[in-house]
Amino acid sequence: MNSVLEVVLSTGFLAAILRVSTPYVLAALGGLLAERAGVPNIALEGSMLTAACTGALVAGYSGSVWAGAACGIAAGALLTLLLGVLHLHLGADAIIAGIGLNLLASGATAYTVYALLGDKGGTSRLHSGALPPVRLPLIEDTPGLGPVLSGQNLMTWVALAAAPAVAWLLYRARFGFHLRAVGEFPEAARSVGIHVHRVQFLALALSGALAGAAGVFLSMGAVSFFVTGMTAGRGYIALAAVFLGALRPWGVFLAALGFGAAEALSVQLGNLDIPSQLVSAIPYVFTLLALAFFARRRLVKESV
Amino acid sequence: MNPTVKTTGTVKTAETAEPEGRPAFLAARRTSTAVELTMTVLTVAVAVLIAFLVILATGKDASGALSALLTGPLDRTPRIGRWLADATTLSLLGLSVAIPFRARQISLGAEGQVYAGALAGALVAIHVPLPPVAAVLVPLGAAALAGAALGAVPGVMKARLGANEIVATLMLNAVVVRVFDYLLTDHLRSPASAAIQSDPVRPGSALPLLSDFFGVPLDQANVGLFGMLAVAAAVWFLLARTPLGYRIRMTGSNPEFALYGGIDVPRTIEWSFVIGGALAGLAGAHLALGVYGGLQPDMAGGLAFEGIVVALLARNNPVGVVAAALLYSYLRVGGDVMEQQTDVGSEAVTIIQAVIVLLVTARALPELVKRHLARKEAGR
Repeated sequence: MNSVLEVVLSTGFLAAILRVSTPYVLAALGGLLAERAGVPNIALEGSMLTAACTGALVAGYSGSVWAGAACGIAAGALLTLLLGVLHLHLGADAIIAGIGLNLLASGATAYTVYALLGDKGGTSRLHSGALPPVRLPLIEDTPGLGPVLSGQNLMTWVALAAAPAVAWLLYRARFGFHLRAVGEFPEAARSVGIHVHRVQFLALALSGALAGAAGVFLSMGAVSFFVTGMTAGRGYIALAAVFLGALRPWGVFLAALGFGAAEALSVQLGNLDIPSQLVSAIPYVFTLLALAFFARRRLVKESV
Repeated sequence: MNPTVKTTGTVKTAETAEPEGRPAFLAARRTSTAVELTMTVLTVAVAVLIAFLVILATGKDASGALSALLTGPLDRTPRIGRWLADATTLSLLGLSVAIPFRARQISLGAEGQVYAGALAGALVAIHVPLPPVAAVLVPLGAAALAGAALGAVPGVMKARLGANEIVATLMLNAVVVRVFDYLLTDHLRSPASAAIQSDPVRPGSALPLLSDFFGVPLDQANVGLFGMLAVAAAVWFLLARTPLGYRIRMTGSNPEFALYGGIDVPRTIEWSFVIGGALAGLAGAHLALGVYGGLQPDMAGGLAFEGIVVALLARNNPVGVVAAALLYSYLRVGGDVMEQQTDVGSEAVTIIQAVIVLLVTARALPELVKRHLARKEAGR
């Protein structure tokens, strides 16, 4: 038990939490924006996968990680815009269309990688490079803080900055008021002159861009290549974090951190004698309980 | 004048009020079935065409790939067997999501339920000695029960607490898959095997292979095929001819009206999840007792989501689900043949599948085409 405590209290573990949480935080904040705009975005998974693949491929062929990251994020946004077209213009059910887009992303990325590189597994033979880690000159040498914060990938910092940015956008910016109005009561928003679809499309584009950033982190931050199916259900977990965080930016941020912490813990415990599968199941059990609890509370509130 | 007595109460009242309406009603239903069937075939054709263009655009041998995809599964009898076995699992999964869909509940929990069913079925089939017929039926029952129990959780959460069923089912999937993985690697792993897999099920519990009856090699195809057909018929009967089926359909088409009509909507929703779970559990049993003959890691990989495609393609019609599953498994097996024989990967099939989903969900698409044609007509 001592060794578990040692692991959990080490600075390396805290740094790992930030690293592992990065894709969850980015994708979950993206999911939050779409959800608040009234379009459930289950295509987070597909956006992440598309972005991860596009990022690695563009970076590999152009030789510029920045071009790769930009194209990856744009690809994530495009896929979510497609969800908008299907749902808002063509009357598709957002959930089912989202599942379709996730399928499309998994098939199209695997097919593209195979067609371009002849490798079914991924782009490991392409030298794509990764986004640089950010070193913080002063903090770096501070014991305790330095090893946790300094040397984190650029996208981890983007994730940390995204939480206050999304909070500001939703509650302080004019666009955020429109977004929430559209999500809560589109008819009322329309009657006061808000372009409902325009706001929803913009929210979806932002949502997809955030999910795209999460995908770019996977293929150009943690490692420097794309592996087919590398999102491994993270988009769905991010969606759960959206609901677990009660649709509020900081709540969603903390929920995503929680999922990241549990994953980091299960990786660490894999070395010890504790079944890592069961540890990694804990956040999902917790989410289920929280889901039931919060739903109950909402029901009680509504009936009053 | 008086119509048949066999029909349910509501249909009867409608008929007695307007007895001459029945032939017209049946004719309309025949037409709409024909239209839906045409739409389904058209959807798949368009999806295959798009995949063809994608393959062509990547500079591969598109016609060779297409012919491998479309004729490959019938080339050899083992492939036909693989096709039938795959269609059996997919049909059960399609039926399992079609029932909650009918009650307007989006259950994504089939994946977890498949593993729970496989686990429960295989545990009984490996460890419990049973007399001949019971040796097959008891594990199947255990699998259905396990799936149903797992289906009940999101059902109750949604119906009684209003918890989002999509998140609940996704979370349960994640938990069950991990528990399955843990039990398989740490407790059920066969010491006799180098790979991670369980002991094989007892010979008496394995679903009998069709090749033993027909004398031609049919790979994994087993009597589960007939069981699946019986289950599909039962689901059709449930939805079309029983009070519970009526409640499910009413809840799905208009929950508020159903509530005012005296239907216990929460209970109906719960039952739709429970029955769906039981069917997904049976799909897991088919994998464990028929296809693999034991437990393997990742044995249901992604199949559950394909069940959703099948249900969508069939527009949640139980008989249609079987047809859609046969059609869809055919493409899956064809995709594997295509991968073996040409330089085109089987991922092309996933693209076909995705296009199918997007075309089927974009309900306004036919409407837009119609409007466009009408505008052209008017302009001329």
